[in-house]
Amino acid sequence: MVVVIVVVVVAVVLLLFLALAFNHLVRLRNETEAGWANIDVQLKRRNDLIPNLVEAVKGYAAHERGVFDEVTQARAAVSSASGPAQTAQASDQLSGAMGRLFAVAENYPQLRATENFQQLQSELTDTEDKIAAARRYYNSVVQTYNTAIQSFPAVLYAGLLGFRARQFFAADDSDKAVPQVSTTPAQ
Amino acid sequence: MTLREQIRRNYEMTAVLLVFFGLLIAGVGAALYAAYGRGAAIAVAVIGVVWALFSWFMSKSVVSATTGAQPVTKQQYPELYKAVENMSIAAGLAATPEVRVVDDPAPNAFAAGRGPKDCYVCATTGLLQTMDQRELEGVISHEMAHVQHRDVRLMTLVAVLVGVIALVSDIALRLLFFTGGRRRSSSPADLILLAIGFAGLILAPIAAVGIQLAISRRREYLADAGGAEISGDPEGLALALRKLMDDPREIKHMNRSTAHLYIEGPLRNATGPRSLLGGLFDTHPPLEDRIARLEQMGGFKLPPDTATA
Repeated sequence: MVVVIVVVVVAVVLLLFLALAFNHLVRLRNETEAGWANIDVQLKRRNDLIPNLVEAVKGYAAHERGVFDEVTQARAAVSSASGPAQTAQASDQLSGAMGRLFAVAENYPQLRATENFQQLQSELTDTEDKIAAARRYYNSVVQTYNTAIQSFPAVLYAGLLGFRARQFFAADDSDKAVPQVSTTPAQ
Repeated sequence: MTLREQIRRNYEMTAVLLVFFGLLIAGVGAALYAAYGRGAAIAVAVIGVVWALFSWFMSKSVVSATTGAQPVTKQQYPELYKAVENMSIAAGLAATPEVRVVDDPAPNAFAAGRGPKDCYVCATTGLLQTMDQRELEGVISHEMAHVQHRDVRLMTLVAVLVGVIALVSDIALRLLFFTGGRRRSSSPADLILLAIGFAGLILAPIAAVGIQLAISRRREYLADAGGAEISGDPEGLALALRKLMDDPREIKHMNRSTAHLYIEGPLRNATGPRSLLGGLFDTHPPLEDRIARLEQMGGFKLPPDTATA
């Protein structure tokens, strides 16, 4: 009788622990997905703004072909990139290309004086800031999630239950604040 | 100590303090039982629970009324809106908090609300005039950390618990003075229990207020650490705190019940009897300490302060 009670109690405790641990991992994984959605929203917003910016600058500096092509290609690369690491690389390239586009625009005071250009510039700056903010959040929740599934005892069952480590939104390891953990592709 | 270790340690300390709070309440209950028996203990427990529920539900409406915060539009305060939007994204909040402004020349800010999905961030007009965008984001990140850590809810709970302990102890002490306790037995064990209970009844309210203050101050350090992580810029927050330190103005609508929500303690007196107590009853740690901790976390050093001295 005592043995039966002990076995039942141990089984119930074990089941309870597994349920809680599973829910914890699900919550962390959902956080990384929400974090990724945040980045995605801002990347899309930036991609929507860019054609307007290119048109605005073209009106004053049509001969600066190289920089327009660079921005257009980088923009396309962001939409077609798959996975956080690749997207991050494309996004960083686009930021760089846009920096050069704004540098070109600096040479045209009349362009800079237009309300349209000023508004685009402030919106794009704002979007860049929001991408940076969303990136910080995403990388921090990915780190928490990856650490959780690689720690004992979760490491024993996380893989079996379909929890895979997620990539950081980082092109290279220049982002020293977030250590790179060996990852398998999330999608 | 890294940022994450600091955050974890602060959470652990808060948990310990809350457990201590629970023991304190249990101690008062045990004292009542020892002194007056089951009937009195149950009666006082019922009064305590009713009072707790009443103040918990009333507190929600009271907090928003006492601050004098006005909702504003993005057109009026684009910089503040941007700071709130960016910091709420970086904090991973499900929704961007409402933005409100208090018309007051003293630079200060606070967050209030029931949780991350239903809250608002409020800045004074003085803050918006004093801070640049980087410092403003630092201040807002501190408030976002309060929201993210559920500080508003916790502090309300602590206030309710302090109120309950104060009420129950008060009732118990009055009973003791008027009846001299229930003389049902006088075995040594009972007398010792009665003595412990009596001491507990006197010490409980004092300890409760002390705990409230300790939790509040702990959570300021935690909100600084969390804010620095959210903004990714501990130095920006440290610069903002430096400016707050150099500004002598105090916010007009100050109220003890919301004091712990502000980024800087709104009830600071440089002189007078409070300074003699060495900040024992301050809701916020000294700004110098907070800046020093941010410097330690971020591994930077602010240039020497030129505004004071």
